[in-house]
Amino acid sequence: MAALFIVVLSGLLGENNMTENELALFGSSPAFENILPVGQLYFPSWERYEIAMRGIFERKYYTNQGPLAQQLECRLQDFLGVKHAICVTNGTIGLMMAVEALELTGKVIMPAFTFAASALSLSRAGIEPVFCDVSAETHQIDINKIEPLLDSDVSGVMGVNLWGGICEQVELVKLAREKGLKIYFDSAHAFGCEQGGIKVGNFGDVEVFSFHATKILSATEGGCLCTNDDQLAAKLRNIRSSYGAGEIVDVVKTSNGRMSEAQAAIALMSLDDYSENQQNNYQLFRLYEDRLSQLPGVRLVKPSGVNKSNYQYLVCEIEEQQFGVTRDMLMSILEKENILARRYFYPGIHHYDEYKNLSIRGNVTLPVTDRLCKQCVQLPIGALVSGEAVGKICDIISTSHKYATQIQARVSKSESSLL
Amino acid sequence: MMKIEVEDLAILGGPKLFEIPKSTSNLTQPRFEQFLEYSREFYNQRQYTNQGPLVQLLEKRLADFHQVEFCVTFCSGFWALVLAISSLKIEGRDEIIMPSLTYRRMADIAAWAGLKPHFCEVEKDTLSPSADSVRKCVSEHTSLILGVHPIVNLADIPGLINISEETGIPLLFDSVESTYESSRFGKIGGFGRAECFSLHASKLVNGFEGGYVTTNDKQLSHRLSALRNFGYTGASGYPIAGGMNAKLNEIHAAMALANLDKIHDQVEHNQQIYRAYRELLQSISGLRLVEFNETGQTSYKNILVEITKDWPLPRDDTVKIINSENILARSYYSPPLHRKNIQYEYIPATLELTDFLSERFILLPCGEHVVENDIVKIAGLFDFISKHGSTIYSSLVRASGGK
Repeated sequence: MAALFIVVLSGLLGENNMTENELALFGSSPAFENILPVGQLYFPSWERYEIAMRGIFERKYYTNQGPLAQQLECRLQDFLGVKHAICVTNGTIGLMMAVEALELTGKVIMPAFTFAASALSLSRAGIEPVFCDVSAETHQIDINKIEPLLDSDVSGVMGVNLWGGICEQVELVKLAREKGLKIYFDSAHAFGCEQGGIKVGNFGDVEVFSFHATKILSATEGGCLCTNDDQLAAKLRNIRSSYGAGEIVDVVKTSNGRMSEAQAAIALMSLDDYSENQQNNYQLFRLYEDRLSQLPGVRLVKPSGVNKSNYQYLVCEIEEQQFGVTRDMLMSILEKENILARRYFYPGIHHYDEYKNLSIRGNVTLPVTDRLCKQCVQLPIGALVSGEAVGKICDIISTSHKYATQIQARVSKSESSLL
Repeated sequence: MMKIEVEDLAILGGPKLFEIPKSTSNLTQPRFEQFLEYSREFYNQRQYTNQGPLVQLLEKRLADFHQVEFCVTFCSGFWALVLAISSLKIEGRDEIIMPSLTYRRMADIAAWAGLKPHFCEVEKDTLSPSADSVRKCVSEHTSLILGVHPIVNLADIPGLINISEETGIPLLFDSVESTYESSRFGKIGGFGRAECFSLHASKLVNGFEGGYVTTNDKQLSHRLSALRNFGYTGASGYPIAGGMNAKLNEIHAAMALANLDKIHDQVEHNQQIYRAYRELLQSISGLRLVEFNETGQTSYKNILVEITKDWPLPRDDTVKIINSENILARSYYSPPLHRKNIQYEYIPATLELTDFLSERFILLPCGEHVVENDIVKIAGLFDFISKHGSTIYSSLVRASGGK
């Protein structure tokens, strides 16, 4: 903590004297020796890994809703204050199972600005996604734009909770109930987030979390479905697999959505570390905020609608006119420094081959989503990122702004010399 | 404890023959150190999934093992099948030909791939679809043929390939129980357009959960690699349609690799188990062990017995009796798929032979956890049931209040 404090101080007090000549883009050595990816990538120590795996080998219980998967579900129920937590192979399969259990038909309304999996889960289950634009401020689904999209084929709404924040969950549930629609949430980004003392996981018919390695709670791959509805939980358990199905209820079709004991073991340790990892994210988030909030053309997106966040994402909008270079140019600059920033989400799913025609047919315009797909960049935050690393990343970003004109000139010169 | 009186049977209140349940799952375990050694690779590289170093190595090792050019791994055999069917099916047609006497979730797999199951009959000798039975189901609606190998020995590979070539309908093999097998035409893995396998803990290669597809079709392998990863091809441009997340994680890959290292030792063990069953079951009247065809390479893994006309009890009662003894034997397969209450579109079928066969087979414990003495006990139990069938039957009727 002391070290972090010093970094904060030096970040605030120390001037960034870096010039464009020192950028790896122009031949200097990269800021990072090894590639720095985005994604949380927290993982238990080798010693803990070995002990957990030895336990599995001793029990010889590898999958099929074993003791660790059962324990994980109980722990998650306690942690989230939800009646049922149903662990699954990954978040996408969880979303597909939700479609099955809710018996959705026809079309489902969802935000256009989200990871592809949200839409793909619908298509695989035979449902047509209807894309709704999002709020420029929060990036969450714009609740005012839902009504015009409603028709008799729409059977449900999938809310998505982005960037460690939430969409207007309570209002969305209310709207959906009024219209007689099912309402569920893709909460892949929102594990551990809280509003008014209630944790995400308790809203709508069901919420789906991802425990992918890039998320704050990791099972390497994994996920879980949460619901307070006993009947729905029984259905989901029957759809997942016959193992751990509990009460046998009628379902249309089953899947394989099991979580193995190895995945559950990692998730249990990750859950033990949640507070520590959340704190670490928060400190890093603050460092970024201190350095980037004053930078023209950079808007750091804060978790919306929550009073507790997991801070698992660091996302900025880069506005070209004020910042001086485009988002994509900044990405190239960072990449040369071995910082693998990501365009999240790009391309916008409504431009995918399989959805393009839907958007055209429906005469859909999604101006906010289109702008965000051009402007958003995700920066590293998590296990592999130190306070010092944040300092370096921010130095490079502010240098890119400060010397934007020189950078543009040198880049276009070298491009024209290549022609 | 050996059974002397009928009342000694656990189902009638006697002590169980096995204290710890004996399952039909393989549950093979590698040396722990070996598993750790593989794990160190992903741990040091801090890559826990997304086509990490161990998934890449496993795919190479499995392609070599099956003597094919490409292998693509998945989070399970279930989703491997769904995505392989989705990739290979003829667009604009909506039926998939598959046996009814097969894995209980196979029709659901077809539904997830957007096809209607069209159930075909099986042959008595192989318990798998023959070319003729498949031919009877072919129509202008047929989108794909799923050739499912039985759990002991192989389906008629050349027959199925012929009909696929004749009709131009793609052939996909479900080879989940045939990882180790060779036919006289070569090793399993390279037939049809592709073959699907499982890495579930119950299978020959235990990777906790997992599955894979083998093929010699480069385009197909690229397509499958993209589909399991949200459609991302790795190249610039838009993702391909129909993607999902079906990636195998690195811990599962470590486990599969470590088990693949000891696969031949495992088969040796299986062979001993199989020989012991064969010796001890042969004198029991009314029971027939389904023998392995030993002309090609075989895993000797699954122990399947048939109840013949001399057996004194119905198959399902027999399974109940032995399950009570902590022998987790299974009916193979019951009910067959065409008898299930299917709630999505399918082609109704009358399959007399399948109905008949679905009441005759029992899968017995096998795998690493089974030792020869277990088989002595299991065979002893069958012998006891065979000799006291009618007494057992009347005691069971009495115990259930005459129902």
